[in-house]
Amino acid sequence: MRSKYLVYLLVPVLVLGLSIGVIAERVPELNIMTTTEGYDPVRYEAAFLIQENLAELGIEVSVEPTEFSTLIQNFYNEQDFEIAIAGWSGRVDRLDPQHFLGTLESGQADLGGNNPGGYVNERYDELFALQAKEFDQDQRREYVLEMQEIAMDEQPVNILFFRDEVVAYNHNNFEGFVPMAGEAIYNEWIPFDVDPLGEDRMLTIGTTQEPDNINPLDSTTVWGWKFMRMYYDKLIRLSPDIEPLPWAAESVDAIDDNTIEVVLREGMLFHDGEPVTVEDIKFTYDYFREQDFAYFRPFYQPLDEVTIVDDNTLHFVLEEPTSFFITVTLSQIPILPKHLWEDIEAADQLNPEDVPTVGSGPLKFDTYDRGEYKRLVKFDDYFKADDINIDGVDFNIYADSEGVYTALATEEIDMTAWRLEPAQIELAEQEDHLTVVSVPDFGYYHMTYNLRVPPMDDVEFRRALAHAVPYETFINVLLDGLGERGTSIIAPVNAFWHNPDVPLYDYDLDLARERLENAGYWWDDDGRLNFPE
Amino acid sequence: MGKGQYIAKRLIQLVITFLIILTILFFLFRLALPDPTAALVMDGLSAEEQAMVRERFGLDRPIVEQYFIYLRNFMRGEFGLSFHYKSPVFPILMEKLFNTLALMLPAIFVSYLIGPLLGVLLSWKRGSNIEFTGIIGGLTLRSAPVFWTGMIFIMVFGIWLGILPTSGMRTLPYEASSNLDKILTLDYLRHLILPMFTIAIYYLGLPMLIMRNTMLEIMGEDFIELCQAKGLSERKIMYKHVARNALLPVVTQAAITIGLAVGGQVVVEVVFSWPGLGREMIQAVRTSDFPMAQSAFMMMAGLVLVMNTVADLLYSYLDPRVVLKGGDK
Repeated sequence: MRSKYLVYLLVPVLVLGLSIGVIAERVPELNIMTTTEGYDPVRYEAAFLIQENLAELGIEVSVEPTEFSTLIQNFYNEQDFEIAIAGWSGRVDRLDPQHFLGTLESGQADLGGNNPGGYVNERYDELFALQAKEFDQDQRREYVLEMQEIAMDEQPVNILFFRDEVVAYNHNNFEGFVPMAGEAIYNEWIPFDVDPLGEDRMLTIGTTQEPDNINPLDSTTVWGWKFMRMYYDKLIRLSPDIEPLPWAAESVDAIDDNTIEVVLREGMLFHDGEPVTVEDIKFTYDYFREQDFAYFRPFYQPLDEVTIVDDNTLHFVLEEPTSFFITVTLSQIPILPKHLWEDIEAADQLNPEDVPTVGSGPLKFDTYDRGEYKRLVKFDDYFKADDINIDGVDFNIYADSEGVYTALATEEIDMTAWRLEPAQIELAEQEDHLTVVSVPDFGYYHMTYNLRVPPMDDVEFRRALAHAVPYETFINVLLDGLGERGTSIIAPVNAFWHNPDVPLYDYDLDLARERLENAGYWWDDDGRLNFPE
Repeated sequence: MGKGQYIAKRLIQLVITFLIILTILFFLFRLALPDPTAALVMDGLSAEEQAMVRERFGLDRPIVEQYFIYLRNFMRGEFGLSFHYKSPVFPILMEKLFNTLALMLPAIFVSYLIGPLLGVLLSWKRGSNIEFTGIIGGLTLRSAPVFWTGMIFIMVFGIWLGILPTSGMRTLPYEASSNLDKILTLDYLRHLILPMFTIAIYYLGLPMLIMRNTMLEIMGEDFIELCQAKGLSERKIMYKHVARNALLPVVTQAAITIGLAVGGQVVVEVVFSWPGLGREMIQAVRTSDFPMAQSAFMMMAGLVLVMNTVADLLYSYLDPRVVLKGGDK
């Protein structure tokens, strides 16, 4: 009799024990963090599409739409996520591969860094250091291509898609727009490219985005910079093909591993009539560093000192050879007039009305009415003034994209500064006076895994997941065909640096299952995925 | 309870309510977003740089301390530095407030001019088709979403007919030397028409219906019979005796509406790209610009409270029958 009771006792214990054993093997429910539908419907829907496909593989996934700044906070600053869908915007300075490559460098894996997933790969880090020091572009390219191979193979991040930038302009009023990767037609070449067709020589741009401010030592948004770079000049400008062109500099040469010689163009003036001198250039770089303006800090970090050699020549002395110094640093730092800034001690504390708005660029600052309007006019004494065929640029600020579109339709504005909404694209295409331009972006949406959390730490698991992402559906359904499937961390449109030969993972659930099986994963009776035994 | 006492009591109530609102606002924003630095910093800023940003905006201090600093600053009339514009909040808000009032006050004026008159007409023509149409119309306008009305206006007058501007306060480019300069032009009036009528026809229904209801109530009272017995004309009875008395609740409603108007018709400001306070509030919330959003809400709450109190006091003054409650006789 006693043994019978023992059996009663043993059986449940056994069942319980076994099932705990089984449950413990199960791949736990994974959480995908994404933005709210209101913030970005595309990213939101993408997360649910991925959820569906992972369910097919027996992986349970919960989607957690998160308010944008909280998402950024959790993702970068706390690294509190399992899988996150985030995006990198394509800013001009990111056309140099340095930034995107850095997102997988182990040195940037600490809290707040650009590598929140915590990817570590020795060979990758080694190549990262090598490419950063390599001034020979072809050699540097070799390193960059290999890094993309590693990243694609190990899948610490899955690039979901590149979204096209679709904008429109009124072809009855202006012509000559030259689109630029990631920037579309609202780029800094506008003053030189655009030709008026009628009486109106002021190009009017409609926008919803306002600069956060017009203080070059305090603005941290791309909209502040897209406005300011029209009236500040730089030593280097990146051509629409992303080729560094000496601009305010007559020439730029690396004279040894650590020294870059810049010869300043002669006869340039600031908008207040003062000449641009080597003193101003040296002051600008020293001042940015002294004011410790964090937004640009990564750009000038490698800079040790700027020395004046003669009336026209400067030497930029670097702490170590830095390949991106010419393409990024020299092309992004605005030249400031020393005589207006040198007495300003705390540049970031300036009242808006006290900010000097004097640059030496092709256009001059004229008006900024917050929430309403901005105006820049042609600088007649600019050294390339003959190439400028417009009288200036008006920016009309609207409350939302509907307002911008209405203005485009009623010919109140000549072009848009930001992408049209999908519904507006169709309408714009039907308008006789509008030309719609679609430009691929080099920023991208990505699904980043937290590699500190199993099973995301397993490379085979990640490879299998890469086959469960419906790349084509993203493009066809979510983006209405206006985009390109994700490839490597350097976008195809950035042709020089992109590696077109990396093998892509195609959407194939059978293959995904096969890969999981080969890696030892198995499915229990409920069809749920289990860890290898 | 005397009048002075009553006013004093209402004022104390006002201050306490406002303090509660200030507190709720402060904690609400912090609850909604655990760390406002996320809104301040760019992606790719190092931890050390983020710490610097926090320090500059005082976000490195304990939340209770931040709360007391916030109260102290408020008492001093300092509304802080906008995260987004990185410049003082107050001047920006005042500028936007002016723009909002430049839209809202004409709209309220029009709706409270026409609304009560229509209300009188409706009650007078009781049981007729006019009343029926009026009530249905009033309710429809009241329930039609303003953005919808606004968009229809834009489509018809802006795009199809092309006779009226659809966005902004003035034809760009313009330079206004002062706020008055901004509105003392024909161009401003042209820009005002569409958004103003969008708001006006939305607001119109309320005074109209209130007026009608109160009129009907008063028409049943004894003194009206007396007037009729005296042989006064119907028109005179309606406008002189009934309508005058029925205006009271409308006046109260108008005061409250003006208070609410400070927040602007957010939707209308967006649809017509009107550079007002409501639009600024939306942007502030979107960019998690605490100081800006807080101050904007504060301003709105403050004005609603003040106008409410004014309405109460006005009411007690206008209508001697209103008993001042809250004390022994």
